[in-house]
Amino acid sequence: MVVKELAYTKEHEWVKIEGDEAIIGITDYAQQMLGEITYVELPEVGKETGAGDELAVVESSKAASDVFAPLSGKVGEVNSELEEKPELVNSDCYKKGWICRIALKDKQGVEKLMDSKQYEEYLKGL
Amino acid sequence: MSSSTKAGEFVFEQKDAEAKGSALYSEHIKLTDKSHIAAFAGFLMPLWYTSISSEHRAVREAAGLFDCSHMGVLEAAGPYAKEFLNIVFTNDLNKLSDGRAQYGYIIDAAGNVLDDIIIYRRAEDKYMVVVNATNEPKIKAYFFALLNDEVVIDADNPDRRLENKPVVRDMRNIKSGSDCRVDLALQGPAAIDIVIELIEDEQVKGQIKELKGFRFFETIVTGIDCIVSRTGYTGAAMGFELYVHPDKACELWSRLLEKGKPFGLVPCGLGARDSLRIEAGFPLYGHELAGPFDISPFQAGYGFAVKLDKEFFIGKAAMQKEAEQYNMEVVRIELPGAKGIRPVRGSDAVLEGGGKCVGWVLSCAKVDDMQIALALVSRDVIKEGETIGVYYLARNEGQVRKGRKQEIKKGEKAEADINGVTLNRFAKF
Repeated sequence: MVVKELAYTKEHEWVKIEGDEAIIGITDYAQQMLGEITYVELPEVGKETGAGDELAVVESSKAASDVFAPLSGKVGEVNSELEEKPELVNSDCYKKGWICRIALKDKQGVEKLMDSKQYEEYLKGL
Repeated sequence: MSSSTKAGEFVFEQKDAEAKGSALYSEHIKLTDKSHIAAFAGFLMPLWYTSISSEHRAVREAAGLFDCSHMGVLEAAGPYAKEFLNIVFTNDLNKLSDGRAQYGYIIDAAGNVLDDIIIYRRAEDKYMVVVNATNEPKIKAYFFALLNDEVVIDADNPDRRLENKPVVRDMRNIKSGSDCRVDLALQGPAAIDIVIELIEDEQVKGQIKELKGFRFFETIVTGIDCIVSRTGYTGAAMGFELYVHPDKACELWSRLLEKGKPFGLVPCGLGARDSLRIEAGFPLYGHELAGPFDISPFQAGYGFAVKLDKEFFIGKAAMQKEAEQYNMEVVRIELPGAKGIRPVRGSDAVLEGGGKCVGWVLSCAKVDDMQIALALVSRDVIKEGETIGVYYLARNEGQVRKGRKQEIKKGEKAEADINGVTLNRFAKF
């Protein structure tokens, strides 16, 4: 499942731009591939991150998968509910399963993200 | 493609071919999303249908059905079949009568474990040999190299050759004869009721109920010719493997699922197959056997399947040495595993009470709110019931930058991230 209003990366992160902030999560495709998620290592609040840096780790019983920062900025709020309920990434990856907010340095890189149509095409090619 | 050194090492280079659908592929794609199907040992196999945990639970509480058609099935037949297999195999086929099966190892003359296998004696001169999917091309090559006298069978006497030879064929290959077989596994407490449902003959029903572990017989199940065996890889006290002609596999699979549904039967993927065998304590070749740590049958806890009192088998001299000097062993560990706890993974360090590294995790599975790990540790250092610690190795560069180590050596000290307790080596359910 792909959500229309979001932007996407090739590493299967989704991005929602809200003013100067970006909300980050992993896509339905990514959670399907991982299976039952049992642990999420959240980023530190206040950490400066460059686009492409490791931001978080999502682990299922089968694999540990890095989540990369799609854009540069400073980590704002994190979804601490995932510490107790990592399964929210499985059940509701686009809403309750969000990972963190990034206060964007600038809008650089936003244009490189895929829109939902492009991401759907990208998934078909995998 | 393969060769044998003077020291008796069997060297095999595996060709990577594109994965093809298993014999049951057409059933799998009806039952699950394609994203849950992956290539394993050259076959496209389901990792899970719904989830690993629900499939694991079904096997413990009701029953699960597994596609094991990726497993290699070979036959050795003829007057010299037993003599040949008893030289190739570490266990003792002289102790086997018709309708019984035995677990053991194939070891080269240099002492390398080539595979762990089960041999079924169908008749004095007819044996079915079930080998690991990943090792099937290697074992086939090894058998044919033996038949062609291309293998050193005795490192102390490199010119020694086999005196007598059997006829070997691949029983999964429908061109090899009319009697062909692939493996489906039906495991869990309800397995018996499901098989009984599919058998008409009252006498056969009775025979099935009486069947003990590692015994089998050949009968008709729902109109299909089957070898029904009380074996399995899940640790379930009740379970069968059904060996069926590849052309009949889909039919048997769907009838089992249909008849088994009221009993709680679900199809299970490779994920649950792995978590169940870990919980039971069974080794997987490449992890708890052979693999990067070169684990021997003695280290794995299966010294009983290496019969050193046999006059000769390939690798005997090396195994005699190993039996006297092995200093690591596989243990089973229970750790907390509720959601929100970072999973323990292979290569994570195992620490004794004082924080000293005594070994490493080999495999780990989440089972309900716990994790069960199999680890290789110094022999006789950790006793059942003792607390042990585990240090998580760095999973990515970010963790390395924060100071997490990528490797812990034996004897090195570390602080435990999570504590668990050592269990008995094997469990039955």
